[in-house]
Amino acid sequence: MAGRAQIPNKSSALIAMIADEDTVTGFLMAGVGNVDLRRKTNYLIVDSKTTVKAIEDAFKEFTTREDIAIVLISQYVANMIRFLVDSYNNPIPAILEIPSKDHPYDPAHDSVLSRVKYLFSTESVASGRR
Amino acid sequence: MEEQDQMQSSIEVEEVEEQQREGKRLEEENVVRFLDSLDSYVTLLDSLSSTLRQGWLELASARQSMGASRINGALLDLKSHSAATSLQVTHHDDEILNQPHFTLCKWASSKNGYGDEKLRENKLQTNSDGPQLRHRSQFAEKIPETKGAPLIVDDQVQKERTKSLSMFGTLVSPKLRAAQLSFETALETLVEIANVRLTMLSTSDQVRKELEGTEG
Repeated sequence: MAGRAQIPNKSSALIAMIADEDTVTGFLMAGVGNVDLRRKTNYLIVDSKTTVKAIEDAFKEFTTREDIAIVLISQYVANMIRFLVDSYNNPIPAILEIPSKDHPYDPAHDSVLSRVKYLFSTESVASGRR
Repeated sequence: MEEQDQMQSSIEVEEVEEQQREGKRLEEENVVRFLDSLDSYVTLLDSLSSTLRQGWLELASARQSMGASRINGALLDLKSHSAATSLQVTHHDDEILNQPHFTLCKWASSKNGYGDEKLRENKLQTNSDGPQLRHRSQFAEKIPETKGAPLIVDDQVQKERTKSLSMFGTLVSPKLRAAQLSFETALETLVEIANVRLTMLSTSDQVRKELEGTEG
């Protein structure tokens, strides 16, 4: 995103999460949870009551925070904000789509694989052979 | 005189051919690196799915034995605290690795100074051999040789792990501890995925430019 400062070399950065309760709970047990003095967290638990706007706001916040280097997002949640995820092009924070308990990982929806699949199209192969 | 001109032109032709061969070799190297990184990406995602499934299962087992009220989102610690597990971002300036690199720092605490000993290096494959996936064993086995304090580091890590689980109570199910280890393993895999992802995107850009150059 424009205007985001680069994380300084060899500095400590956080892993943010936008996922279901079990996934977030599991990663918090692994020690990635961070709560600052203003009670801002580096995670958003998505359930049936979470609105798409809330997910979009969390995604925008995590991708613009200077202290976050990786954003984990359940793929089914990423599908709710697919346009936003696919239009994100910066190397940091890295956006990683992960499976969830009820929604297995689908490579067809992965934004990274979508970006490179054109290299396997017949058009790109044919043009290379001219 | 004519012979000298002929020799000069043949040398120039050879140089041009050599440059073309070198360019072709670099193009092929980029394609190989891209395909290797793509393969690693897909393989690591598959491994991640298995690890997460195990973690969810263990969490569900812990919930069954401890009770749903003892393991739920409402218990998450909202008091101000720093992440015990974080990332170190390194920016490489060399020609091959002109991209950031993530390193996971597990249970690193600035209070006790044991942070450096918990670094887990997820090294990118930088030469033409292709990426090598490394499946790490339990954390305790990989602690580097310090000046006689591996046991102290182990104890500190265990304390950090116990502290992380304290939001669920003092006595927790062994399944919950197992789930914690599974999610730690998943984190390691995720950091490898993040590094491979960067390589895949940068090499795919290079391959795309080469293809566009061929078209033009």
